[in-house]
This record gives sequence, C-alpha cells and structure tokens, in this order.
Amino acid sequence: MSGDIITLSGVHKYYGETEPRLHVLRGIDLAVAEGEFISITGTSGSGKSTLLNLLGCLDIATEGQYRLSGQDVSDCSDDDLSRIRNEDIGFIFQSFNLIPQLNVIENVQVPLLYGSRSVSENTQHCLDVIDSVGLSHRLDHRPTQLSGGECQRVAIARALVNNPAVLLADEPTGNLDTNTGEEVLALIDDLHQQGRTVVMITHDKEVADRAERRVYLRDGQILEGSAD
Amino acid sequence: MSSHKRKELIRMGLRSLLGYPMRTVLTMLGVVFGVGSVIAMLALGAGAERELLQEIGRLGIQNIIVNSITPEKPDEAEARGGYISFFGITFRDHRQIIDTIPGLDSALPVHISKKKVWWGSKFLESSVFAVKPEHLQLFGLEAAVGRTLTSSDEETLSRVCVIRSGLLEELGIYEDPIDLPLNINGEIFRVVGVLEDENFQGYARKALVVDSRSSEIYVPYNTILKRHGTRSISGSGSTGDWVATDVELNQIVISVEDLDQVLITSRMIDTLMAKNHPEKDYEMVVPLEVLAQRRKTQQVFNLALVAIASISLLVGGIGIANIMLATVTERTKEIGVRRALGARRRHIIAQFLTETTTIATIGGAVGVLVGMLLVKLLTLFTGWSSAITLSSILLSLSISMAVGIMSGIYPAKRAAALDPISALRHE
Repeated sequence: MSGDIITLSGVHKYYGETEPRLHVLRGIDLAVAEGEFISITGTSGSGKSTLLNLLGCLDIATEGQYRLSGQDVSDCSDDDLSRIRNEDIGFIFQSFNLIPQLNVIENVQVPLLYGSRSVSENTQHCLDVIDSVGLSHRLDHRPTQLSGGECQRVAIARALVNNPAVLLADEPTGNLDTNTGEEVLALIDDLHQQGRTVVMITHDKEVADRAERRVYLRDGQILEGSAD
Repeated sequence: MSSHKRKELIRMGLRSLLGYPMRTVLTMLGVVFGVGSVIAMLALGAGAERELLQEIGRLGIQNIIVNSITPEKPDEAEARGGYISFFGITFRDHRQIIDTIPGLDSALPVHISKKKVWWGSKFLESSVFAVKPEHLQLFGLEAAVGRTLTSSDEETLSRVCVIRSGLLEELGIYEDPIDLPLNINGEIFRVVGVLEDENFQGYARKALVVDSRSSEIYVPYNTILKRHGTRSISGSGSTGDWVATDVELNQIVISVEDLDQVLITSRMIDTLMAKNHPEKDYEMVVPLEVLAQRRKTQQVFNLALVAIASISLLVGGIGIANIMLATVTERTKEIGVRRALGARRRHIIAQFLTETTTIATIGGAVGVLVGMLLVKLLTLFTGWSSAITLSSILLSLSISMAVGIMSGIYPAKRAAALDPISALRHE
C-alpha cells in the first residue's frame, strides 16, 4: 500500500546464536498508514521491547521484511540505521533520556548535530519547535531543573526537530503522574491531529485507548483490536 | 563529514567538557605538569648549550691554538745546579706552519712570561703576553680606556703595554692609568690602554693560558723578544741554585680561512708539530672540535632529561585515558541516547577524541606557562642559565595533542562499540 509508512511482513526475531534460540517475535505483519495513531500493548515478555527496537531501527529482524517510508531497512548497515533513526524516527522515551549536562535548546539540537542540516542555521527552527511544546521560557535550563512533564516535552521537541516520518513513543507517560501524563498525551494527540504518524508502545490500557487504532501483542504475535 | 559539521561536533565535544568542569581540570593536571617539566628540561638544556657556545665560542671556532707545555718528566738530577730547560714551540715551528700549511688567515706567535711588575713599592708577578697587534683583535679584546696595540708599536719596539683592570686593583692604582709608567723587570713600560672587562670562562681561560685574576699585561711582541729575549729565570735564593726555562713561543694562534678546513688543518699542524717534538711538549686546542664534543655530551644529557620529563607526560596521558574509560561507563546511557538519535559510531569517536584532545591541548598550553614559571624560578634561585625556545613550545604542544589523541582512541572505540539498545537500557 502506498499510504503506509510502516510495513512489517513476516518478521521474526530470534535471540542467541545457538539452539535453542529464543524466539521472541513470531511472524509479525503490521502496516501503519501515514497520519495514523496506533498503540501497541502487551504484557511484559510479549515482545514489546523487541518490536520497539525493530521499529526504531535500533535492531534488525532475523527474518522478514521491514519497510519504513518506502525503504527496506531489513539489511541496513549500522551507519544506514543511524541515518534512518536520525531522519525518520522521533523517539519519545519513558525516562525522557535527555542529556544531563546540556540545556533545553542544546538537547533539542542533538539530532541536528548528527544529520546533514546545520545546527547554527536551524536555531530559529529549534526555538519554534520548543515553542510548540510550550517551553520557550525554559531555554537554558538543565534537565535537572525541570519537572518530569517539562522533560518529556523537551524530549518531544527533540523528537520533532528533524521532522521524522514516525514518532515512536515508548511508555511516554510511565514516569509521570496522572495529570502531567494527561498533558503529555494531549500534546501527542495534538501532534496526531496535525498529521503526525504516531506509534505508541505501552502496557497501560487507558493510555493505549487514546490511540485511534490499537494492536495487542501476545507471545510474539499481533492481535488486532483490544486485548479483551 | 563537512568541515562545518566537524566544527559543530567539536563544539558539542567542548560543551560536554564544560558540563564536568572539575573533572576536566583534574584530568588536565597530569598533562600540565608533564608538559611543564618537559619545557623546563628543554630550557635548561638549551641554556647549558648556549653557555657552552659562549664559553668556547669566545676562542673563535675558526681558530686553532697550539700551546707549549712542560715536558712530562723534568730531569731532577740535571735540574740541580745551573740548568736551562728548553722546551715548547720554537720559532722554527712557527715559520714552518706559515710556510707549509695552506689556507691560513694568520698564525700569530705569542710569548708569555712571568714577570715582576712594580708600581711604586708594590709589585705583582704577572703574565706578560708578548703579542702581535692582531692578537687582541682576533679575540675581540677592545680597549675600554685608551687604545690597544698597533703595528707602529711593533716596528718602533715601543715600550708600551695594554693592561687588564685586574692589575690596577692588585697594585692599588686608582688614578687615570693612561701614560702611567709600569716597571716590568726593570724596564719602564707606558700604559696606553685598559682592556674591557670581558673575562674568558672555564675552558677558554685554560686554553689561552690567561690567569684568573685578569691581571695580564699585553706588550708588543717585538719589544719583548728583542729587549728581553725568551729566557726566564726562577732562582731559588737559599741554595743559590737557579732554574731557567727557555721557551721560544708559548702559543701560536692560527686562524683558518675556511671553517670546513679547520679540522683537517689542525691535523696537518699536529703532524708537523709531532715530527718536530717527539717529546710532546705542545698541545693542540681546536675550539671547533671541543665544541662538537661538548655539544654531543650536552645533547645526550638533554635527551636524558627530556626523556625523564616525558615519563610524566606519559603518565598524564594514561591519566586521561583512565578517566575517559571511567567516563565511558558513566556515560553509557548518554552514548545510547545519542546513538538512538542518529549518532554514528564515528560521531561518538569524534566526540571522545575531541574531549581528550582538548583536555590535553589546553593542559599542554597551561603546562607551557607552568614550565616557563618553573624555569624562571630555577634561574632565579640557582643561577643556571636557561633558554625557552619556540621549538620547545611547539614540540610540547604537539606532543600533548598527540597524547590527547592517543589516550582518547581506546575509550572512544569502547564507547562507539557499545550496543545502542543495551546502552539505552543502562542505568
């Protein structure tokens, strides 16, 4: 399908070199359309993290094909995977993963540093992105000087800065209290409304329900729809 | 990687260092003191070498000096009673040198005798140098007061002399020395000039047979040779015995036209002299050769000093590598995040190398300043001479830069080799 940003077909992931190998993903077929907001849930041990790593191009599948915005990433080199992560994927982590010694704007600039675009010429762009998550007043604060919710907004701004094909959120509210979690989810909702493709991985059913489409992962296989 | 990107990456590396100022400074210290000691050692070495050049260079590296020396075994038995000991360089040697050795600018004869010099009721046993007027020019001896010797002094056998200031002190002369009559061995010599107070040091003094009190007297060669002859008698009054020495020439100062020919000329002269003097009552002084030998010794010494100092620089480098390795572990999470955000392995390597190279280079620059301070203090308190050369500064800086790169390679590779997934999960 031409409208699909993500296509996984027959994806298997094994761990270990020798038999018996750990068979974590057992034939995943999944397509995510452009502009879709999809949540992937599953209990621990269901293969969520492994799937996230594959989707995020941090790892490659043992078998099967993964196409990301039309590009087959199944056999990419380390450098190519790095480039794809940089250009096409915006990570939002559970623990924010900001770099502690850098301030807000510097943290947002990090993805630019590893891409082809100049950091200094895109200062205004960074400021705009930070403004869009409502943190213009915190530009030279360090992560330790920010609240959890603010940290996650910085992380979202960082994920957006290279205008990626997919936002990949891994338990984005896992480290936040209900109120700030709600704010962050609202922000992600907004981004979806603006046409962003969002893949959110969570074990929280309520959070998962915010997505327009939900898939359930059990024993390394995808079940469409809700778990229950 | 474009140069623009490289600049941004370097800036990011520097930014990381500023994130840990205390650690950065402490890591730097090893290189600071390493470079400081290398600078200090190089400066002291260069100072010693310069002093050497000044000391021996005073003799003139184009010169060859032949000195008469007392034969090794004076015959005790014959020395009793009236005996005249003949030895040393002869007029014939001098003539032969001039006639047979090619490429000489000059070969100046010098006769030195110990004579009693009287001023009023005071006297001093002083070395009287009978020299050609060119002799003083050759060694750059100039008159501080009055004039030096001239060729007309030679021709007219004038009884004039040029003295060193030490003589005035020894004899207690405080008035204007020009035209003062000095009684040298019963004959009156008029003082026409006082030489500048420029002393020959160490080796040069020995080679020229100049005394340490700088009370020598220079008189026209012909005047002394014609009026006094070459014999000098030192009697031992109590027994009535006397010993006389008759040395025709004490010294020949030969100046070679071409610097490249100095060594070969010295060998030719040595051969000639050896034939005339099987008893070896002469010695050759070749400043160029002495300088080369001394310099070689000094350079070996310098090298040893610098090698020792380099060990502390090496320790500094190991310090950086050690801290950076610890940093890699400590910053595993950060490395994972950067990798997730698109950093390639070489970006991680670049970041760590930037950090270590910056630490080492800034450490090196501070080390240069520390070294200069150290040299200043050493010179102040010990009086050793020193010279900080530009090349020693550049050398230290490039070595510390290299130390930075070397000490960064292993930690950087370790960091780049981390698996992004497990690095990201690292807490």
